[in-house]
Amino acid sequence: MFPVRPPPSLVFALLLAITAAAPAAALAPPYRPPYQPASDADLLQEVPSLEDPAVGAMRARRRTLDATPHDVRAALALANAYIDYSRQIGDAHYAGYAEAVIAPWTALPSPPAGVLLTQATILQYRHEFAPARELLERALRQDPRNAQAWLTSATLHMVQGNFAAASKACAQVTNTGGLELGLACLGNLRSYTGQAKQSLALLQHAETSSTGASAVYRGWVQGLMAETAERLGDWQAAESHYRAALEALPRDNFLLVAYADFLLDRGRPREVLPLLAAQSQSDTAFLRLALAADALHAPDSGRYTWTMAARFEALKARGSDYFGREESRFALRLGHDPQGALQLATRNWQVQRAPWDARVLLEAALAAHEPAAAADVIAFIKETRLEDPMVLALAQQLGALP
Amino acid sequence: MRLRCLLLVLSVAAFSPAHSHSASDAYLTLSADAQNPRVLHGQWDIALRDLDFLLSLDDDGDGKVSWGEVRQHLPAIERYAYGRLAFGTGEAACTVTPLRRQIDDHADGAYVVLFFDVTCNRAESTGGSLKMSYSLFFDIDPSHRGIFLLHSKSGTSTAVLSPQNASVSLSTGP
Repeated sequence: MFPVRPPPSLVFALLLAITAAAPAAALAPPYRPPYQPASDADLLQEVPSLEDPAVGAMRARRRTLDATPHDVRAALALANAYIDYSRQIGDAHYAGYAEAVIAPWTALPSPPAGVLLTQATILQYRHEFAPARELLERALRQDPRNAQAWLTSATLHMVQGNFAAASKACAQVTNTGGLELGLACLGNLRSYTGQAKQSLALLQHAETSSTGASAVYRGWVQGLMAETAERLGDWQAAESHYRAALEALPRDNFLLVAYADFLLDRGRPREVLPLLAAQSQSDTAFLRLALAADALHAPDSGRYTWTMAARFEALKARGSDYFGREESRFALRLGHDPQGALQLATRNWQVQRAPWDARVLLEAALAAHEPAAAADVIAFIKETRLEDPMVLALAQQLGALP
Repeated sequence: MRLRCLLLVLSVAAFSPAHSHSASDAYLTLSADAQNPRVLHGQWDIALRDLDFLLSLDDDGDGKVSWGEVRQHLPAIERYAYGRLAFGTGEAACTVTPLRRQIDDHADGAYVVLFFDVTCNRAESTGGSLKMSYSLFFDIDPSHRGIFLLHSKSGTSTAVLSPQNASVSLSTGP
């Protein structure tokens, strides 16, 4: 029996006829069949460079693991380096490589807590929140003093809008990881629950009391401060925190994308193109490039849109649908399909409930003239007392708030 | 300093569940020959990024893979890929004959395209139920997916090949 899926449609018309290579500098024409490059010197694909210290560090950890293949610590060190790199460059391949590295231990009847935590992080990265939660709980039963597991758990609760549970997890972060880390956790949480001013003060404290902390920590806290300042409508402060965050982590895909959203909101699409020029392999970054090109009426904006559509189709073909927030935004802004955007945003809202998830649903409901579809989000905003001028303005437009 | 020690080991990925995708896909298409029921024509698109991770295509380490570097590594690429694709059943034996190699630009980067023919010793092996086993990259990346398309007289069918669904029975007959 051949496992049959729906007959090929646009998906495969696109996939098999696909082209449009590297954006920005050299956009290929929308279609060209497989070809023989004209010269050996033709450059086809950017790949992680050996000159990148992160690549060198991953190779060193790989060599360590190859030398001691049964050492779970060596495996976790490599897997976590892959996950960090995956996030940094916005490329999910490395999350898959990490999964393979820890596979011998995940197959055990009772994997060590560190392995469960790393596996949970990979699933969380793929938005498989329910199984990620289950693994985290197992890890914490084994190792209740694992601060990183508590922090991961708190983050997961926050992104799903479970703020009471997140608060408990933050308390455990304080117990197991120390006051500063606990303050950062709580600061993050309060930015979602109508206490953004207090949030900023907590984050400020977490920031100043951690002099000498790693760039990763500074970048993280500054990024949280930037988002909190946005929630307060303090654009100037938000911008300076984004810049400080990017000073600590200049190539972090997550921060770059958040800053690009800030620039798009502030009507500064021109700055997005150079900001994300080196990030085009990341789908989240690519969407912002496409939105910026569209806002600028750039001559290549059609190609950006086309390529983004093809990337979404490729995700659909492999059976991934954890990209609802971005896909809804794409459908509304570039596909001009409010109904489709609303469906995507509604499904996404069942999975994640960060301010941006509320926002895409409200925007789509407004564009589709279906205010009733936003009822859940409106109730959530009222209940959590979310402060976010962009979100609240939409709720007002929908007539749901005074 | 307790905090500092902890912060050194914290993994950045814990902090935000934002993902950014472009996981690994390859595209495998088989088309039944119009005349010869013992033959299938294949096209297999494999991402250069994936191959670089496994086989280090970027010889000069400049972060860019050129056609010359791909050509240099074609024997290794083909050895690896064809070693992870098998056809046959108990009685039917099939041979895979590599043909030309080209490049295709997909939306997420450049892919090497391997063209090949599958020739089976008995017509019923392609006309009946021929088993195909696929294991490209699964050992280094379990999230890899083979997007598979089969064109035959009875129409077109598709499948997503994964470690959990690594072999399929092809039905190419009418």
